[in-house]
Amino acid sequence: MKFEFDNKRITGVLTVVPHNTVKFDDEISNYNFSEKQSKKLKLIMGYEEKRVAPKGVCSSDLCEYGMNYLFDNNLLKREEIDALILVTQSPDYFMPATSNILHGKLGLKKETFCIDISQGCSGFIIGLIQAFMLLEQKNINKVVLLNADVLSPKVSKRDRNSNPLIGDAASITIVEKSNKNEKIVADINFDGLNALCLNIPAGGFRMPSTMETAIIREDEAGNFRSLDNLVMKGDDVFNFVLNKVPEQIENLLSSNGVTKGEIDYFLCHQPNKFMLQKLADKLTISYEKLPNNIVENFGNASGVTIPTCISFNLNENLLNNEYKVCLSGFGIGLTWASMLINIGNFDFCKIIEY
Amino acid sequence: MEQFEEKLAGILEVDELNDNDILEEFEEWDSLSILSIIALFNSEFGKTISVADVREAKTIGGLKKLIG
Repeated sequence: MKFEFDNKRITGVLTVVPHNTVKFDDEISNYNFSEKQSKKLKLIMGYEEKRVAPKGVCSSDLCEYGMNYLFDNNLLKREEIDALILVTQSPDYFMPATSNILHGKLGLKKETFCIDISQGCSGFIIGLIQAFMLLEQKNINKVVLLNADVLSPKVSKRDRNSNPLIGDAASITIVEKSNKNEKIVADINFDGLNALCLNIPAGGFRMPSTMETAIIREDEAGNFRSLDNLVMKGDDVFNFVLNKVPEQIENLLSSNGVTKGEIDYFLCHQPNKFMLQKLADKLTISYEKLPNNIVENFGNASGVTIPTCISFNLNENLLNNEYKVCLSGFGIGLTWASMLINIGNFDFCKIIEY
Repeated sequence: MEQFEEKLAGILEVDELNDNDILEEFEEWDSLSILSIIALFNSEFGKTISVADVREAKTIGGLKKLIG
């Protein structure tokens, strides 16, 4: 589906990462791989260290911490928030919605519209699209978009497919109406036939968690996990990204008369360095224009990776400059979404530690 | 094809490849080399192959047949 918006802008991005760091080297002994193989894995995929939430800390805790930071530093006022969108796949409960819980904890006004969206890797772009749609309403002038995931507890420590890369984080993006008449365009596609390529099989209503689902078994590649753990068909996801994402970005650019040269940065979801380098190669753009350093510094926290990439790589440059960027998220769903948008002149853009 | 073989030899960390060489017998054969081969097929030939395709190819000659 193609989307088009005008008179909207992002005015700030704050990323919250847990202070607790886990190094790849410290977990090598968990994997069914020789030390040499693990070193090669580290080099090719760009694994170094990731941020992991302390035991018991949930996505909503990172969100609450970040929101209070903005309130305390006069960067955001409670009464200005007309809508609160939370994109997460690690809610506090099946019911109620976690955005309602946050509404209470943050002391927001009764009129604030709250909604949870269950999306992952494309979650930043899906959240932005939802925010822009809400801003078409007369009474909605400021939307807070929260992207948050604490999925590390669901990943088997002995799964070298997923454990080296999954990190935890949250981000807060402020989206507002604007007088500047600039067009924002997006394209988003879904392939539900491959919905289970990335999956946590047990723990929902379809397959409740039991003693049986907790049993750890070895797969054909020598990884150990249970049905309660996150599982990923790595080769299918890899092929999907290289086949679908460049095509979507090329089409979005050409149908809007924008050349690759006019785009300052391609800010993409961060699954691993290898995939992002292959993506840049296929798009024939330099690695400088498509940053790939989030997994090595923080890990992949699903829908939070694009805001993390923005706050880590562009950070304070966004306070006084403006850039034309292509955002692209892809993965779980399978879902792939790209957006052309001008960003800059932010009120804030930084990373804080929980 | 020459460039493909050169890159394949690079992935498997050997100087020379023969069509009869059995993939699983390479010292460097693991899930990472399989992923690198999948990426190589995509970049060199724009071709999508799966882990199962690579495993079923069994030999260097079998891999070359996947190019089609």
